[in-house]
Amino acid sequence: MTLFLQELKMNRKQFLAWTICIGICCFGCILLFGGVKETMEEMGEVYAQMGAFATALSLDRMNSGTMEGFYATEVSLIFAVGGAMFAAMLGICMLAKEEEGHTAEFLYTLPLGRTDIVAWKYAAMTALILLFNGVCICWELLGFACVGERAPLKEFWLFHGAQLLMQLEIGSLSFLASAFCRKKQVGAALGFVILLYGMDLMCRIVPDIENLKYVTPYYFSNAADIFINGNLDGKMVGISVAVTVLCGGGAAIFYNGKDF
Amino acid sequence: MGKSENIIEIKNLTKSYGKKRGVKAISLSVEQGDIYGFLGPNGAGKSTTIRSILGLLRYQEGEIKVLQMDAPREQKEILRQVGYMPSEAMFYPSMKVKEVISFAAKVRKTDCSKEAQRLCEILKVDGDKKIEELSLGNRKKVSIVCAMQHRPKLLILDEPTSGLDPLMQEAFFELLLEYNRQGTTCFLSSHVLSEVKSYCRHAAMIKDGVIIRTDTVENLLKSDVRRVRVVAGGQKKEFVYTGEMKDLIAKLADMQVEDVLIEEPSLDEIFRHYYEK
Repeated sequence: MTLFLQELKMNRKQFLAWTICIGICCFGCILLFGGVKETMEEMGEVYAQMGAFATALSLDRMNSGTMEGFYATEVSLIFAVGGAMFAAMLGICMLAKEEEGHTAEFLYTLPLGRTDIVAWKYAAMTALILLFNGVCICWELLGFACVGERAPLKEFWLFHGAQLLMQLEIGSLSFLASAFCRKKQVGAALGFVILLYGMDLMCRIVPDIENLKYVTPYYFSNAADIFINGNLDGKMVGISVAVTVLCGGGAAIFYNGKDF
Repeated sequence: MGKSENIIEIKNLTKSYGKKRGVKAISLSVEQGDIYGFLGPNGAGKSTTIRSILGLLRYQEGEIKVLQMDAPREQKEILRQVGYMPSEAMFYPSMKVKEVISFAAKVRKTDCSKEAQRLCEILKVDGDKKIEELSLGNRKKVSIVCAMQHRPKLLILDEPTSGLDPLMQEAFFELLLEYNRQGTTCFLSSHVLSEVKSYCRHAAMIKDGVIIRTDTVENLLKSDVRRVRVVAGGQKKEFVYTGEMKDLIAKLADMQVEDVLIEEPSLDEIFRHYYEK
């Protein structure tokens, strides 16, 4: 527990910076809806004729002139990309920072045990991701209250559940990578998030690479799909949970055999 | 003391880093209550051995027992009773000194506040300073507090005095002797012969990953090797002498000596001496 609290404390600045930035961006974007509602209704027709670009961003399926459509195509994008970046940054730094900062010798000679260290660090990452989601959701609900309109709640919560799962998956993948690295590879982790997002855009347009939808968690957590279908793809959720668990376990196994 | 009372028991420890040498088939044992010196030049394998004892390295062959427990399997319990001071003391830069000390104590689930305060006073450690503001010497002092505050059964110290000023070195060794009198066994690595000579009862010498010799410090230093500096006939001469002292004096008598200095050899010369034996 001491290490868990210590990790929360050490990551508090990063947590505050990302929570404030993404939370306020989502809040501000929702507030914008009141002013741009009519323009968005007109833009919706233009978007619908933009072919592949509109398909990739789901603009052909959602009317961004409604709060539901605006949230699913605009606000959700900020949250999806920002949240995944935050999770990736957390994960990639968690274990590698001990070797980069030469603090491994101090931490690993305390009577904690490597498995416990990995478990507490993983728990701290999960807690920070949960807190990040909680605070951002509050900002969004505040935005809905200010505008006087809101997205349908069932789909809203389903979307945030899927986003949480996606962030945990990306965080876990980065956490696993962190177990192998001797330096914090923040740039690579952020690049990885962009790559996953790009995969989602591309597999929606190019039928030949449709199977990439099983690789990128952006696919099953896509807001437009969730708001249109009202559910999540169980198979993809299963893959995401499996990847998350395997990455956490894999990090512990690899870390136990590592030399410091 | 019987073998069962050995606090550290290493048998045929071999650790290599891919093709790079670490240590090869080393064996040593440290008795309870001893201050044991582990001597060797830089890169000899001292830190590899210590890191293997502490479970930081996974070794290929051999067996390590610490406090009668199997080192890799019962690592957590071993570390609970061990205090370790690394050669390069590094902590989280954004933390305050008192936070680091308190963190190390909390992890051990022990209230060490009184002992920590006493150690901080002796070593002149300012608890309110941030780690990032500290010099190497001051970080070393924090490391000493973290290693000693829980009154461990075994202290493992990797080049403990590097970076400490002479006054602090003295204060550190006084603390070490105090803990030792109270029952703490100490295992310290060093490349400073005088430290080992002054404070240790037993020692091992390691070079190129191989233990050259283990014995009491008294016996180790009973070498008949001497470095001789002579001014004879206006010329300075310097050589290493191995042999009987009377023969050396007889040799010097033939040299029209104007000045002579006979001193103990350097650690390296002693190493060479043991290699040649």
